[in-house]
Amino acid sequence: MPARHSTQAARSGLTACLLFAADSAFAHSAARGAGDFYAGALHALTALEHVLPFLALGILAGQQGRKAESILLVFCLSLAAGASAALWAPPLPYIGLLNIVSAILFGGLVAASWSLPMAVYYGLALVFGLSHGFANGAGMLEQTKPYLYIPGVALAGLAVTAYGLMVTDYLLRRKADWIHIAVRVAGSWIAAIGILVLATSGAAILRA
Amino acid sequence: MRITRSTISPDLFSRSMFALACLFWPALALAHVGQGDISGGFLAGVAHPVFGLDHVVAMVAVGIWGAQLGKPAIWVLPVTFPLVMAFGGVLGGLGVPIPGIEIGIAVSAIVLGGMIAFATRPPLWVAAIVVGIFAIFHGHAHGAELPESANAISYAVGFVAATGSLHALGILIGVANRWNAGAKALRAGGGVIAACGIYFLTGHLIAG
Repeated sequence: MPARHSTQAARSGLTACLLFAADSAFAHSAARGAGDFYAGALHALTALEHVLPFLALGILAGQQGRKAESILLVFCLSLAAGASAALWAPPLPYIGLLNIVSAILFGGLVAASWSLPMAVYYGLALVFGLSHGFANGAGMLEQTKPYLYIPGVALAGLAVTAYGLMVTDYLLRRKADWIHIAVRVAGSWIAAIGILVLATSGAAILRA
Repeated sequence: MRITRSTISPDLFSRSMFALACLFWPALALAHVGQGDISGGFLAGVAHPVFGLDHVVAMVAVGIWGAQLGKPAIWVLPVTFPLVMAFGGVLGGLGVPIPGIEIGIAVSAIVLGGMIAFATRPPLWVAAIVVGIFAIFHGHAHGAELPESANAISYAVGFVAATGSLHALGILIGVANRWNAGAKALRAGGGVIAACGIYFLTGHLIAG
């Protein structure tokens, strides 16, 4: 029996090894052609200024229930449109501030937990999808393939917002009444972070 | 069963594979440093509220008092506090001077400790104003340090999360209020908090 046990351990060790090794092998793998897809996805996923508002929008949609899934589709398409616009539009220096404002707005709406007409949420998803998309699209280099990079950005946005929606929807179905407070607290934290960052960036711009 | 060479080697194999996996680990971690140094700013943000004993005492006191006040204060507080504190942080970040910040923070511990010790139950709006004023003082002290940090957004994430966790700690301690002996212990704890505040205050007055 111990022999079988250690074989299992060896197998899991090997699996873990392969899992980590994949990272260093990545550059040579069959995924070479898809590299720009990951460049787009990682550009959005490795920056908190995008991930936090994405999460807040997902939580906001989750507070509206299952019917709100279409908000995420609007946001995803709007991200793609914004990133495409960055291909020909001149760079907008203050687009980052707009993205921080989206964190404050989305987080604040989660904290307030009002029930607004759905049109408001569609409008917010549309406008800030464009701004986040544009900021990510501006990260494309000369040799980047836009037809891979832009779907990467859009699908990363869809994944994060969908995660927020699913978790929130799941939690709010539980019967404990403190859960909806915990969700609002999460929104309040995101809005507070946004306010602090906006002030810092604003102060930096004023000083410059 | 006798341990033979063949039973040992798979275990050894898995161990060496694990070591190999560890070898790849730093490569994984390094890949993300480029876009936002999350650990640098984040840890500084967490450390700022946690390593200042005057902040810790006051934040935990806010949570305990909220728990003592019961509904609705217990959930109004954690939702609104981060936002008000962020506003104070903005004032600090923009360099708007508030005189006597350190004294205000020490006084906040005395007042909140006193409220807990005497189990004072003012109307919600009075409690909100008291806590709100202190939230601005605390936020200002943190915000004044915000612009120096390397990464504003991860600093803000750490700072808001640490403060919120201190409230949560206070609210958890406040659960003891349900039992008679627990309620008495909480009031005694309030006395200790107020005493800490007096200690901080005399420190500042002697130094000033």
